[in-house]
This record gives sequence, C-alpha cells and structure tokens, in this order.
Amino acid sequence: MPPLRRAKPAAAQPTEAEPDAPASPTPTGPEAPASLTPAEVTAQRRRRRTGTLMATPGALYLLIFFVVPLGLITVYSFATRTSTGRTSLSGWNLNSYERIADDVIGGIIARSAWLAFLTTVLCLVAAYPFAYYLATRPPRLRARLLVLVMIPFWTNGLVRIFAIRFLLGSNGPASALSEAMGFGTFRILFTPTAVVLGMVYGFLTFMVLPLYVALERMDWRLVEAARDLYASGAKAFWRVTVPLTRSGIVAGCVLVFVPSFGSYVVPEILGGAKTLLIGSYVARQFQAARNWPLGAALSVLIIVAMLVAVAINQRNSANAERTQGVTR
Amino acid sequence: MSSAPPPDAGSSVPAVEMHGISKRFSDVVAVDGVDLQIGDGEFFALLGPSGCGKTTTLRMIAGLDIPSEGRLAIFGEEVASWPPDRRPVNTVFQAYALFPHMTVAQNIAFGLQMRGIRGPDADRQVAEATALVQLEGMEHRRPSQLSGGQQQRVALARALVNHPKVLLLDEPLGALDLKLRQEMQVELKALQREVGITFVFVTHDQEEALAMSDRVGVMSEGRLLQVGTPAEVYEHPASRFVADFIGRTNLLEGTTESPSAVRLDVGAVVTAANELDAGSPAALSVRPEQVRLHRRGEAPEGDPCLDGVITDATYLGHAFVYTVAVGRTVGAGGTSSGDRAATITARSETGSAALAAGEPVSVSWSPAATTVVAD
Repeated sequence: MPPLRRAKPAAAQPTEAEPDAPASPTPTGPEAPASLTPAEVTAQRRRRRTGTLMATPGALYLLIFFVVPLGLITVYSFATRTSTGRTSLSGWNLNSYERIADDVIGGIIARSAWLAFLTTVLCLVAAYPFAYYLATRPPRLRARLLVLVMIPFWTNGLVRIFAIRFLLGSNGPASALSEAMGFGTFRILFTPTAVVLGMVYGFLTFMVLPLYVALERMDWRLVEAARDLYASGAKAFWRVTVPLTRSGIVAGCVLVFVPSFGSYVVPEILGGAKTLLIGSYVARQFQAARNWPLGAALSVLIIVAMLVAVAINQRNSANAERTQGVTR
Repeated sequence: MSSAPPPDAGSSVPAVEMHGISKRFSDVVAVDGVDLQIGDGEFFALLGPSGCGKTTTLRMIAGLDIPSEGRLAIFGEEVASWPPDRRPVNTVFQAYALFPHMTVAQNIAFGLQMRGIRGPDADRQVAEATALVQLEGMEHRRPSQLSGGQQQRVALARALVNHPKVLLLDEPLGALDLKLRQEMQVELKALQREVGITFVFVTHDQEEALAMSDRVGVMSEGRLLQVGTPAEVYEHPASRFVADFIGRTNLLEGTTESPSAVRLDVGAVVTAANELDAGSPAALSVRPEQVRLHRRGEAPEGDPCLDGVITDATYLGHAFVYTVAVGRTVGAGGTSSGDRAATITARSETGSAALAAGEPVSVSWSPAATTVVAD
C-alpha cells in the first residue's frame, strides 16, 4: 500500500504518478481534474465558499488579536523612545536591534538560551525513559497513565510553580530534609537552578507527549531484528530506536526550548534578581523602564527564534514521513 | 511420531537440537514439549496453521523468546538462556523488518558492524552478499523505495552476510504474490544449496513446505505432530490432523477392527497400509488422486470398493475432480450398506472418458495407498 503522503511538488519523485498534484494550477484550483461538468464545477465552488465561511470567525479572531498586535510590535521595534519614556512613531531606526548586542542584553539572551538549553536536555533525559515505559505498556494501562501525565498539565500553572517555591524554600521540606541529613540548609530558591527545575517541571509534558507518540508508533520488530544481527540491547537502542524516534525527540525539544527561552512566570517566581531572563526583561521594558521599542525588538527576536525552531520541526517531521513511510 | 533421522548430515552434531521445549505466555501454552533435531545443512520446514506455535519455536531458536522449559542446543552448545546477539543464527523476518532509516547497503552491513567488522573487509562482504541476492545497483536505495521482492532479497542478504550457522526464515514469502513466490521458492532452494547453511523455514503453506524442504515438521496447537520427508508426511500421515492439513484427502470415519482393518461408517471393512490399536475410532485417509472411478459394478476384484453416485464434476483443464456420494444414499444392489453417508473426492486425468453428475459409479483404491489415522 502506498504511503499517505502530502502532495508536495518539491518532494515528488518522477517515477511516482501523483494525479492529484498537477504541474501548474488550473483556474478551477489544484484539486480539479481536467474535465468537470458545469454542475460539478458549481458544486465545487459552493463547497469552497462554505469552507471559507466556516473559517471566517476563527480567522478574524486571529487577525484582530494576534496578527495586528504582532504587526504593532514589529512597527514599535523600529520606533524611537523619547526622553520622557514615550514612544514616538517617527524617525524609524534600528537602534533597538543594535542594543541586542549590548553586554547586558546579550548576557541576558545568552543566559536565557543557556537555561532553556539545560531545561530541554533535562526534560529529554527525564522524559525519554518515561515515554518509553509508557509506550511499551498494554494499551489499556497506557491510556490511564497518559491521563496521569496530563493532570499536572491541566492544573493551574501558578499553583504548581508556587508549590515548587514552597518545596524549595529555606523553610520547605527539601531544606528540612537536607538539614536533618547533616548537609545544612540549602539555598536553591531564587537561583538559576530553581528556575531550571521549575521550567523542567512546567514543560515536561511537552516533551513526554511527542516522545510517547513516536515511541508508540515504533515498530519493535526492528529492535528484534537488530538484536538478531548481533546488536546488544544498548546498541539496538542507539542505532535503531533513537533514530526512528528522532521526529519525536526534535518535536519535544522544540516544544520545550521555545517556551523556556521566552519564559516569564517561572523566572519571576523562582528566580532571584540575579537570574534576569529575557522574558522578564521584555516585561520590564514595557512597564518600569518604559522603553517600548526595545521591548518590541526583543519580542521580535523571540518570535524569530520560535519560527526557526518551528521550521526545524517541520522539516524534521517531513523527513520522518519520507524515510519511514512505506515499511510501516 | 515417526522421527526419521536427518538425511545426509554434514556433521554428526545436529544444527539444532530441542528437548522438551515449551513456551508459556501467562496462561497460554504456545509451544508444548517439542523434541526436534535438525541436521547440519538441512532445509527444514516447520509447517502448521497460524497460532500453532511454529513462529514461537523459531523465535526460541533465534533467542527472541526464551523457553519456559526444555533444552536447546545449536551445534552442541546449550543456548537456551543466551541473548539473541550471542547466537550464531540470523533471521529473515516476516515482513522483513528492514531498517527504514538505512540504505540497502547499511542494512546489509549492520550485522558486520555490530561484530566490529568495518572498512574494506566489510565493504567486500556487503558487495558479495548484494551480488548473491542480485541487488547490485540498489545499494543506496532505502527499503521504502524497493518492491516487496527486492525487500525480501535485502532481508536475505542482511542475514546471510553474517554467515550464520543456521538461517531462520519466518514466512519469508508470505507477503509476495503467487508468481513471485513460486520464483522465490526455486531461488531460495538453490541459494540454500549454494551456501550450504542450515535453513529452518516457517510456513503455513503446505505446498511450499513440501516443495522446498528436505524434511517437514508439522505443528498444531503447540505440539510437533510429525517429522519426516515431504513424501513420508504426505503418504503416511501420522494423525488425522496431518492427513487433513497436508494436501487434500478423503477422511472416511470408522472404527478399527483389527490393527490394520477399519470398519467404515459407510459400510465395508477395508485394510490400510499401517496399523493402529483395535477397537478405537479412527479414519481412513485416501488421497483423491489414489481414488479410482469405475462404472458401477466394473470395479476390479480384491481392492476395497464402495458404490456411489457422482454429485459433482469439475473440469480443471489437466484433470477432473469428481465428488462422489457414498453410503446411505446408494440405491439397491450397492455393496455399501452402512447407515452413514459420506462424500469422496476423486481426481482423474482428462484423457479418460468424462463422467457426468448423477452417474452411478464404484470407487476403489489400493490398500497400500491409504493410511488409517487415529483421532
């Protein structure tokens, strides 16, 4: 059976006939075969009009509350801050972008990226064995365990972060335990470590779910084949299981890295004054510092980083579809 | 169970030796006390319907399942508890299990790499294996870019490149269409002779098993029912199941009267080529091609004979297949006077005169061509 594959002209092989993907779009649209009766054309048009109509409310919402503000942010990032802290929409310049390379701001960006990277790696290390366990349970148990995974995800984020704050605080259980064991009180709250711990906790589900999906789709007979071909359990894992779940790994990493990089709530609550991250810094520009152009420029930077990550993820899943299409 | 010794064994040590091998999955007994010896260089087929335990038996030889009980030796070495990567066997999996993220060459080189063979030596061996299965020019393709037959060849090359002491094949031809399957049967058989490796082949297709193997082991419900050459198993089935599963046969119900005589439910007492304990329910197995058809009353003296009426005649080109009703339905004057009816399938070459449905006939057979089987 041929794989279900999106018709993509770039990826289309000359040997494969893809009748649904004509070389050039015809006036009636790409999915219209060459010969259609007038009645069929009318029906098709009506279908398309209904589709457009149904998409309109959502599209309008996104346009007003997402595209327009995003456009405003982009515009503001080129604007000028007056001496009174107001934003003058004139004298368009790149000053705000130039400041990204400043030592202070560059340092904040680097620290944010570093903590996001740490968070991603820790999430991956914690989530992979867990997703593996989950995906190899009997289907009924799998469904139940999956609900358990989702419960913290559905729980209010603030509540969860404050719970962590209590746990890690100098009067909290973790510190008490450490003291009882003779290690003295520990000071972890308001440090980068606390921020990373909080973000790992907050974003772990984003890592578990794509990994679970990839591992659940895994054809374990391939691991048996590797074992039969003299691979030890560990080698079979690295040479077969990991490459075949790569799409889940990349997706999970993107899903964790992007929100970690721009994270605001977790560093605000668990991080100290020394752990200033880009999310908080942006907020400060819009509030206390009254430097909207700089805040906007940094926001654009975060959005670009996110778009790059999404592009990586898109390419990755398209690759996975291509290499693993037929044999499963 | 007739257990013929492996023919022309290359060495005195059997390639595979099983003693009382059982495998249980929680409550289910998949394999139940199998004793089996497979000779060095033999082409051995494990034959049975799906769920009979043949694949589990194969997986235990490969090390993918560990026996619950029993001893398992490969060339004299006890391997029952060894992991698959330590065993000198390789498997051609059902649906091939090729690595989709690797090219053909990378797939074939995998086993060599895992044993630390790299560089020019590995390249040479991969090239040899590729040539052996006639896949030159396909080295850089991915499995998804190959046809089913080509994928099958990659799976073969990937296993054979390691020079396993035993090659295990799990329904390797099952996914191919009929014509390709028949070609591959001939090719696999030739390949086995060429490389001289012991092949253990799992199939549910009895024709395939008979056509390809030196010996056949017939399995049902976890038990190994009979082991023998294709001719032995076909001509002298050891049980009702084997008689019915291997080829087509007529099973005539009855009771044994003396060790080799059966009173058939359709009347008549007949003798068979083998013996069973007297007084037990049994069935007589007569192959359709052994049944001779005569016009009523023209049957030769001496051979077992039943009268009947043709109920169906099917023309197959090279042969006719007739269905004959015997027993209660037979009119006055018939020799069969039993209280039960039965049908007998007969085959005859098309050269002989065609008979039509409704014609009264007599069927006969040579006792030497029949087997009496217990329930």
